[in-house]
Amino acid sequence: MLEINQLNIQLGNHSLNYHRQIATSAIVTLQGISGVGKSSLLLCIAGFIKAQSGSILWHGKDISQMEVEQRPVAMLFQENNLFEHISVLQNVRLGLVNTSDEDILQSAKQLQIAEQLHKMPAQLSGGQRQRVGILRTLLRPEPLILLDEPFAELDNLTREITADWVAQIALSRNKTLILVTHQQEDVEKLATQNWLL
Amino acid sequence: MFCILLICTITLLAFYGLIAFNGQGADLSLLKDSYFHSILIFSIKQALLSTLISTVLAWPIARALYYYPNLIFKRAFLSLALLCFVLPTLVLITGFVSLLGRSGYVTPLLGPDWNLYGLHGILLAHVYMNLPFAIRAFHSQLQNIPQSSWLLASQLKLSYWQKICLVEWPVLRANFSLTFGFIFILCFNSFAVVLALGGGPQSTTFEVAIYQALKYDFNIGEALTLAWSQLFIAGAFFLLLYRSNSVSWLSKDTHGNYQLPTNSRWQKISYSLLYTTTFIFMLTPLLALLPGVIAADYSRAIIGNIIEALSLTLVLGIVCASTALAMAYAILLPIRRNLLQGKTTRALLLQWLANHSLIAPAMVLSVGLYILFLPIIDLDTLGMIFVVILNIMLVLPFAIQQIRARLLQYDNDYAVLAQSLKLSTRQKLQIEWHYSKQVFFSTFALVIMLAMGDVAIFSIFGSDQLKTLPWLIYQYASSYKINEASLASAVLLLLYATLLFNLERAKQHA
Amino acid sequence: MKKIIPLCLVALFSGNALAADNNTTTLNVYTYDSFVSDWGPGPKIKAAFEKTCACTLNFIAEEDGVSILNRLKIEGSKAKADVILGLDHALIREAKKTGLIATHQQDLTNLKPSLKWSDDSFVPYDFGYFAFIYDSTKIATPVTSLKELVNSDASIIYQDPRTSTVGQGLMFWINAVYPNDTSAAWKSLASHTVTVTKGWYEGYSMFLKGGSDYVLSYTTSPAYHLIAESESKYKAAAFSEGHIAQVEVAAALNTSKQPKLAQDFLQFLISDQAQQILPVTNWMLPVIKNVKLDAAFATLIAPSAIDMDIEQLSIERKNMIKNWRSSAVK
Repeated sequence: MLEINQLNIQLGNHSLNYHRQIATSAIVTLQGISGVGKSSLLLCIAGFIKAQSGSILWHGKDISQMEVEQRPVAMLFQENNLFEHISVLQNVRLGLVNTSDEDILQSAKQLQIAEQLHKMPAQLSGGQRQRVGILRTLLRPEPLILLDEPFAELDNLTREITADWVAQIALSRNKTLILVTHQQEDVEKLATQNWLL
Repeated sequence: MFCILLICTITLLAFYGLIAFNGQGADLSLLKDSYFHSILIFSIKQALLSTLISTVLAWPIARALYYYPNLIFKRAFLSLALLCFVLPTLVLITGFVSLLGRSGYVTPLLGPDWNLYGLHGILLAHVYMNLPFAIRAFHSQLQNIPQSSWLLASQLKLSYWQKICLVEWPVLRANFSLTFGFIFILCFNSFAVVLALGGGPQSTTFEVAIYQALKYDFNIGEALTLAWSQLFIAGAFFLLLYRSNSVSWLSKDTHGNYQLPTNSRWQKISYSLLYTTTFIFMLTPLLALLPGVIAADYSRAIIGNIIEALSLTLVLGIVCASTALAMAYAILLPIRRNLLQGKTTRALLLQWLANHSLIAPAMVLSVGLYILFLPIIDLDTLGMIFVVILNIMLVLPFAIQQIRARLLQYDNDYAVLAQSLKLSTRQKLQIEWHYSKQVFFSTFALVIMLAMGDVAIFSIFGSDQLKTLPWLIYQYASSYKINEASLASAVLLLLYATLLFNLERAKQHA
Repeated sequence: MKKIIPLCLVALFSGNALAADNNTTTLNVYTYDSFVSDWGPGPKIKAAFEKTCACTLNFIAEEDGVSILNRLKIEGSKAKADVILGLDHALIREAKKTGLIATHQQDLTNLKPSLKWSDDSFVPYDFGYFAFIYDSTKIATPVTSLKELVNSDASIIYQDPRTSTVGQGLMFWINAVYPNDTSAAWKSLASHTVTVTKGWYEGYSMFLKGGSDYVLSYTTSPAYHLIAESESKYKAAAFSEGHIAQVEVAAALNTSKQPKLAQDFLQFLISDQAQQILPVTNWMLPVIKNVKLDAAFATLIAPSAIDMDIEQLSIERKNMIKNWRSSAVK
């Protein structure tokens, strides 16, 4: 279980407060208007933003003081998820030490990006880049997955395929998922809980 | 951190050596002497003028290179630019004299009032060395303009001046002040050029005065006063620049062709004219060596000497350059860490310490160490170690300056991503190397040539059994063998050119 | 990597040092760099002396004469050298202040009387007169006195008296010829001075490239061009006031563990054999009488010397430089 206790984040003049519990293997969608602090919460759980007060417990253990590298968290940023100077496949491999190329290829086929693996990131469209990022984040070993607007640049059909794949992996690998979205469909399709900020 | 400590210790040891020997420290009465004031004013004046001319002229030339990527011999132009920057001053001065001296090839075209010597001679030589350096710096900075900016600019139908102010200047700004400061300090500390082309005692810089005080009067008190003043002025200037230099925002590398704005026919002509003029300006002093090369004595002994010196120079250069690069990388690690954590003041302090050997007078460093170690260590046999150490110290700031921007850009773009992927150290190094290896190659080229060109340190610590090529040139020149000196200079230039060519090629394939 | 390479260098150099130590005795001599260069006198002097002494002559080269003295000051009694060779006579006073210089015990009766040598520690081994060199194909009637040169508008190059002993020579010269109006002379000279260079070679190579009408050098410079290049157009201008001499000297150190050998070397330096080597390798004049020289030396001007009180000059040197510094400004 992920427990967010009286968490306070200071962003400039804004003070953001969070208090919530999320069950293991839950898929939580996070909604709210721009600037309300959705990304900040994810960045804080992942360890890139320091909280003013409060704690984050994962299975009863406080992770809020840990270094980024030690947290049980894999995160997909809104952008800047790929190194531009190495190929897509190399990018994917970087995050996935114990995953074979076959597994990568199989998932890539499901996400319809198998042909893109040997290209450079700059040659991909925005939607393709997002799916590469999703693939890498979901296949990582960490149990807690944070996705910041993962489907924003996908068309309706790919959005459906990708969301299905995410749900399937989350279920089969027992992941706990928090994802930021603006689309009601995503909530309906994926969420076990919806959290309005 | 260890490396920063190490180089600071070396400098402190050098100053300790001087202070302990003389037993009383700086002679402050000199500060009231009018001689001191005239040195101060002249040092600053010539350095400011040289820097202004170099940077202001470099700007349009860098733009010409940027807007016309298909200019003929553009790669040769950029390599030549680096060559001009590292050219041993003895070679440069001889070239200038045979071109622009009293009986120079070009002098008749310049009218009866032309005189190479004096302030304008100094400026000319300083501009010759530093203008190409600034061109390279600005050009590589302009290449960082993201494609999207140009698309946006044409979409918004920006005017010519709006493009310069809104698209070009923001990219140049960060590096502009840094390049300006770098060149200023190089000119401020200039020595051989000032003495040779200054035309009299009215042209005296701090470095010249220190040389005289240390070497000819052995007046350590006076030398210390001058050294502290130089350290203080150049150091303050440097700190100011680093402070004002906000971490530059640069685009990520985007591959593919740049869609550059098209320029009018008139602009095109003026740019090509500018390009050609600069090319000729850089090339002619080198060509002036040729008559001497032809007239040289090609005896076996002289060829043997040259080859022997050549190999030692290469070994020395490779050792110094690779160590300096490795140290520069290591020194930047704590600086980058502090910047990422937002501790800018600490990062600033570390950068200042890391770069201090650029400002500390080379003469003081070497003589200080010499005084300290001469009674303890057998410098006649171990002197080469000091040649290596001091050369590393002196080229280190150049190495740091060159790779710093690239590594900071990497951090800016990817530090968070790398952290979130929990990469191993090996993976991190691999991916950083992949990202910055081109810069490492060109930095290596710059640093190895600077280290190979040294005469000042070698003159104090070098041995007479093993000679470097620049030292051999100096020896030839000081024993009437002017043509042989030209020959040896040409060989050195050839070595530089070969190195440049191969490193540029390696860079292309990297 | 960082450590391995210096270690290799150490190995390389200690190899050299060992080779020298294998022999029975080694005489260490501090000298200046161009003395030991392949075309300088060093190799020939070494070969000739080693034939007579059953020892190894080991030259340790510093950049120039002043550096040798500085090294002595730093090392004090720990100095490695048995003999120092290559100071000029203007440095004798400073050198004696170190307390390291031994008396020479040499019979100097064979020295040229014109040198008027009376020092009991330093032995002169060669000397030269400073002179302005010109290209006789360009200048048909050269100036005949320092005063004429100073008042002329002929372009000249000379060396910085702060960094070059040649430049220092001109400073003494001007002060000797213009004892009362030195400043005016410097000003007048500055008006037609092309440039002032750091060392001898920068100035001389500028001159050879046509940089000026006259360059400050030695009366012996034309001999080099004659012998090495068969070029006779370069000539030294003889000045009616007389010329300033530069005498190069050597001395034994009283810290030497082989004083006998050190004295033998000093004696060798003023032997006929060494005196024949020096003029055509160091391009200076012999200090003893009746040395057989290359015919080229007979074509050189034979100037009269200006008497100098070296003691006095080395005391006044500082003020002379100050005066030059403020007067020779354009």
